[in-house]
Amino acid sequence: MNIQTLLLLVGLLLPQLSLADGPPKQNNFPDGVSSQSLGADLWREVRQRDLQSSGVSQVKGVDSGILINAHGDQWARFRTSKLTTYGSIALAAMFGLVFLFYVIRGKIGIEGGFSGNMVQRFTDYQRIAHWTLAIVFLFLAITGLILLLGRPLLIPLFGKGVFSILASASKEGHNLFGPLFLVSLLMMLFSYVSRNIYEKGDLTWLLRLGGSIGDGHVSTGYFNMGEKIWYWIVILIGLVVALSGLILVSPNFGQGRVIMELSHITHTIGALALIVFSVAHIYLGWIGSEGAMEGMKTGYVDASWADAHHDRWGKECRDQGLVISAEEYARLQGKNPAVEVATEQGK
Amino acid sequence: MIENLIDGPLWYFSLAVFCIGVLWQLVTIIFASRKQDLSLARSSSTSGALKTVFSRFVPHKEMTSKIGIQLVAGYLFHLGLFALLFFAAPHVIFLEQNLLGFGWAPLPHWAFIIAAQAAFLGLIILWLRRMLHPVSRLISTLDDHIVAILTFVVMLTGCFALLESSTGLRLLHRFSVELWLIYFPFSALMHTFTFIPSRAFTGAWFGRRGIDA
Amino acid sequence: MARMKFYCDAERCIECNACVTACKNEHEIPWGVNRRRVVTIKDGEQGERSLSVACMHCSDAPCATVCPVDCFYTTGDGIVLHDKDICIGCGYCFYACPFGAPQFPEEAAFASRGKMDKCTFCAGGPEEDHSSDEYKKYGRNRLSEGKLPLCAEMCATKALLSGDADVVSDIYRKRVINRGSSAFNWGGNAKITG
Ligand code: HEM
Ligand code: SF4
Ligand code: SF4
Repeated sequence: MNIQTLLLLVGLLLPQLSLADGPPKQNNFPDGVSSQSLGADLWREVRQRDLQSSGVSQVKGVDSGILINAHGDQWARFRTSKLTTYGSIALAAMFGLVFLFYVIRGKIGIEGGFSGNMVQRFTDYQRIAHWTLAIVFLFLAITGLILLLGRPLLIPLFGKGVFSILASASKEGHNLFGPLFLVSLLMMLFSYVSRNIYEKGDLTWLLRLGGSIGDGHVSTGYFNMGEKIWYWIVILIGLVVALSGLILVSPNFGQGRVIMELSHITHTIGALALIVFSVAHIYLGWIGSEGAMEGMKTGYVDASWADAHHDRWGKECRDQGLVISAEEYARLQGKNPAVEVATEQGK
Repeated sequence: MIENLIDGPLWYFSLAVFCIGVLWQLVTIIFASRKQDLSLARSSSTSGALKTVFSRFVPHKEMTSKIGIQLVAGYLFHLGLFALLFFAAPHVIFLEQNLLGFGWAPLPHWAFIIAAQAAFLGLIILWLRRMLHPVSRLISTLDDHIVAILTFVVMLTGCFALLESSTGLRLLHRFSVELWLIYFPFSALMHTFTFIPSRAFTGAWFGRRGIDA
Repeated sequence: MARMKFYCDAERCIECNACVTACKNEHEIPWGVNRRRVVTIKDGEQGERSLSVACMHCSDAPCATVCPVDCFYTTGDGIVLHDKDICIGCGYCFYACPFGAPQFPEEAAFASRGKMDKCTFCAGGPEEDHSSDEYKKYGRNRLSEGKLPLCAEMCATKALLSGDADVVSDIYRKRVINRGSSAFNWGGNAKITG
């Protein structure tokens, strides 16, 4: 190694060394050569560790002044490895759990069977709000999951060409229906909130896991604590998912990539949580608890169901004389023979 | 193959069925034999007709609270559908190139999507209310459900095709439109053309008899 | 096999934007899309430097990792290309790319962006070489004609280098050596950025 190369090496390394001891400083060489550590300076700016966009570009666009966004790669790898894996594990686990619950507990029927006497549980508007939310939610969940899990799960099945069509439809559908989720969430919020305030006795229900621990049924009002928790999960996580979704869906406001990445992570974790919990909810409402679906379909539930699952509310209804007979209920549902004839003639 | 069918013969066939069917329906309605109204005219049937055409856009006061959600959803759906049918850029371009030869200023993309969202929300709520309300469910015929679902499918396939890049998705949308056009004249969809004449007819009758309703 | 690379020499780039313009013109790129851009750091301050940047054709490309429809592929020359027929315009590659290379013809509400467009190293796309389809979607395929990317070819100061990574780094290494020694020979206010 000759002296020239050695000098060169020193010359090249000196500016770099100043990186180690904090901000670049002016080195005054004895012979008057002033050498600022511009290299370190420049590449630090380029690397943009502090996320401050200090560059400018004639090309105008989102983040066009930023040369390197190091978070993009982290985000990409988090999405493709962690989110997809843990997301599908959580989903599969919940299906397993629900199945296990079905095997152990089976359908939860009513002791002594249904009475035939009915009591109104939901108004028309409440049921419309619930099913609007349900339809929009399921649509968003399916289209969202296609985007998230399609590459590992569906491309091997259909190939890229076909999957691209499916993904394009899903993406457009998801983006169009997204804002409707917020609207139906607000319908849900206002029409059910008064029934979902914490009441005395709710904590007992929670501590005894709805009667799974200790003996028998825990006394509950209109909604039990489990239902209330689900309601607030839907509302609160739903709002987070909806708002982060709205950020993602409006790239026209020029928010930078980092905001988009954070919104995406928030959105997807929130959405996965909602999807996973909704599996349990759908199971309990549809298959798990006999007589519950009736309530959301017709607005009426059997008085014995009310007593068995929501005893204080059931008693309230009986005390106030709100229970109607099987005949009255049939008439309201248009199942009365006389009504049948009338509609037949009407057609 | 299938592309040529959907873009060609099936399109003209459905258009022909639609036009001839609608005309035929309207003609038969107009020339249907009606009992002559022998009563003395108490007031003008023309003003009665005009009044009813417009007054029916608003429900009766007593009804408003009962049908609030249908009212809102109904308007959302119909206005949204109208806007997106005639003012979405891809529709304007399609009509210009395939049917009319002239176009007009379309809505910006965001307004088109908002119109579509209004239409979707309205249609979902209206159909749910039809299913969930015992009386509406009882008086709904199969045709009512087919009409709602078919319209929904047309809108949904349109939404799926929004990227405007896949031929498959475009054909799916066009095919569902063709089914819709063919079904149109024989269904409740005819109310698009009949709601004004039928209001006018009732209104004229009311007007002549001096009924204020 | 060659491994294609860009390198921009910050000591030479004079922010003339000729590379940006050349690229736009060569490939007939639509409004709003710029496959290449020049970024100036410390604009108007001491130590101002400019760098021209486009897709860097990463070996382990974040865009390809994240794309939900898996539409990226790497050519034998190490060029990262994508298939516009498969792209759904979700924008994820733009979030993932460190260099902000992926571009979209629009950024409209309801996430309607159109198909992604980015630097192809003048190597076209999956369509048949020199077909009109390829030209419409991806621009000119210069590489298959034995030509290097036009941006670097046009660069007046030869700041922007393109080509086989070994050749590019050889050129650059020589420049650094020259500059490094001259810093000490001149005795003036030499400023090296390495
Ligand atoms: C206000 C409501 C919502 C809006 C505005 C919204 C919007 C978005 C947007 C813009 C994306 C990016 C997709 C793309 O552009 O291709 C997205 C992704 C996603 N959304 Fe939503 N969304 C909403 C609600 C929901 C709900 C309720 C769910 C689940 C039930 C959900 C699940 C997902 C999933 C799983 C992804 C995929 C993430 C990925 O591919 O990495 N979203 N959403
Ligand atoms: S688009 Fe970005 S991430 Fe993808 S290869 Fe080019 S520089 Fe790398
Ligand atoms: S915009 Fe296109 S290329 Fe980019 S990640 Fe989405 S689908 Fe892939």
